[in-house]
Amino acid sequence: MSTIPINTQESPPFLLDLIYRLKVKDVMTHEVITARRETPLRQIQYIMKEKGITGVPITDDEGKRLFGIVSMDDIIRALDGGYIQDPAERWMSRNLIVLEDDMPLQFAISYLDKFRYGRFPVLNKDRELVGIITSRDIIIALLVEVNKEVEKLEQRIVQPPSRPGEEARLLYHVRKYDFENAGKASAGIKKLLLERNLDPKTLRRISVAAYELEMNLVVHSEGGTLSFRMEKDRVEIEAKDRGPGIPDVEQAMEEGFSTANEWIRSLGFGAGMGLPNAKRVSDEFTIDSRVGEGTTVRAVIYLPK
Amino acid sequence: MKLETILQRIPCTVVVKGKGFEELDLRSIVASDLMSDVLTTVDDRFLIVTSLNSEQVIRTADIVGAPVVLLVNGKQPQNGMVRLAEEFGITLLSTPLSMYKVCYLLGCLLESK
Repeated sequence: MSTIPINTQESPPFLLDLIYRLKVKDVMTHEVITARRETPLRQIQYIMKEKGITGVPITDDEGKRLFGIVSMDDIIRALDGGYIQDPAERWMSRNLIVLEDDMPLQFAISYLDKFRYGRFPVLNKDRELVGIITSRDIIIALLVEVNKEVEKLEQRIVQPPSRPGEEARLLYHVRKYDFENAGKASAGIKKLLLERNLDPKTLRRISVAAYELEMNLVVHSEGGTLSFRMEKDRVEIEAKDRGPGIPDVEQAMEEGFSTANEWIRSLGFGAGMGLPNAKRVSDEFTIDSRVGEGTTVRAVIYLPK
Repeated sequence: MKLETILQRIPCTVVVKGKGFEELDLRSIVASDLMSDVLTTVDDRFLIVTSLNSEQVIRTADIVGAPVVLLVNGKQPQNGMVRLAEEFGITLLSTPLSMYKVCYLLGCLLESK
């Protein structure tokens, strides 16, 4: 069996992000079919057939404490060796590789590559059995997520309706943690402005505002849109997201204040400079934010006559 | 400071030859791993010294008009970073030296000029 070609250097950042974002508990089967230590292997064979499964964890009566697992291989060996009536306890595999429910999905994928088992029991922090994960669970979860992503990509660029007095407009959909495309909206805006021979200083201010607001959407929001409008004497950049909202806008405007995690910081962002930076280059700057609903940031830059 | 001088005095490999590579003249140097800090600068035509090897470095360089990026600590650029540098015409260099050592050498170069 070859390794699963998903967790590699060449994989798109979206997939890598996905397998770190999804936790084992998001993907695993929660309803685990278990058997007791005294259950005869024959009965486990029937359970497998009836439920269409290939492995049965052996637990205490509550189904919480895990003692071992009986796999299809164990059953075949029992049939071969003529001890199919023996209790599970005697022949079950005891050296178990288990996963924790809070681990990123990436662990489950690398375990499947490393250990060649078809399934892994999943324990919670209290070492209780809470689920079981198979490659089938992983395939289904990834397909569902990738489908959602494709849907979003298909509607990525939509043009907003035009307003009187408008000279140009652009609208981009920006997704959470999409570092691969992060910066493309600002690059598109810059390209449009370059074609209009704007003076370099104003061009740079607009680019910085657009880029900072775009990165904010990627790093901090649940996703949203970045829109650009150009009129005769001004450009307006609006970043509108679907949440989570900023609890204290004044604090968010302080240089150095940041809610970014270590992972974001390792990418060179989250220094708490984004909003102050965007404001510094803008002539008008407003933030409207509601926790649980979303944030709209509007930056206006006047064009020189 | 001519890019040529930097290439002569600091051991580094050229990963991408950007626009105007031969006659690039740099006005100043910004060393940072925080792209937000780089975005606060008001200069242009400067050299970015960083240990961050992501695409966002190139996007930042493009926005602030920095034609050259020098990666320190022997960091190899990610594939996407190389592609983007080629697309934007930004020169990409990599050196095995540390950030401190590179900044020291660049400082000496600036002094001696």
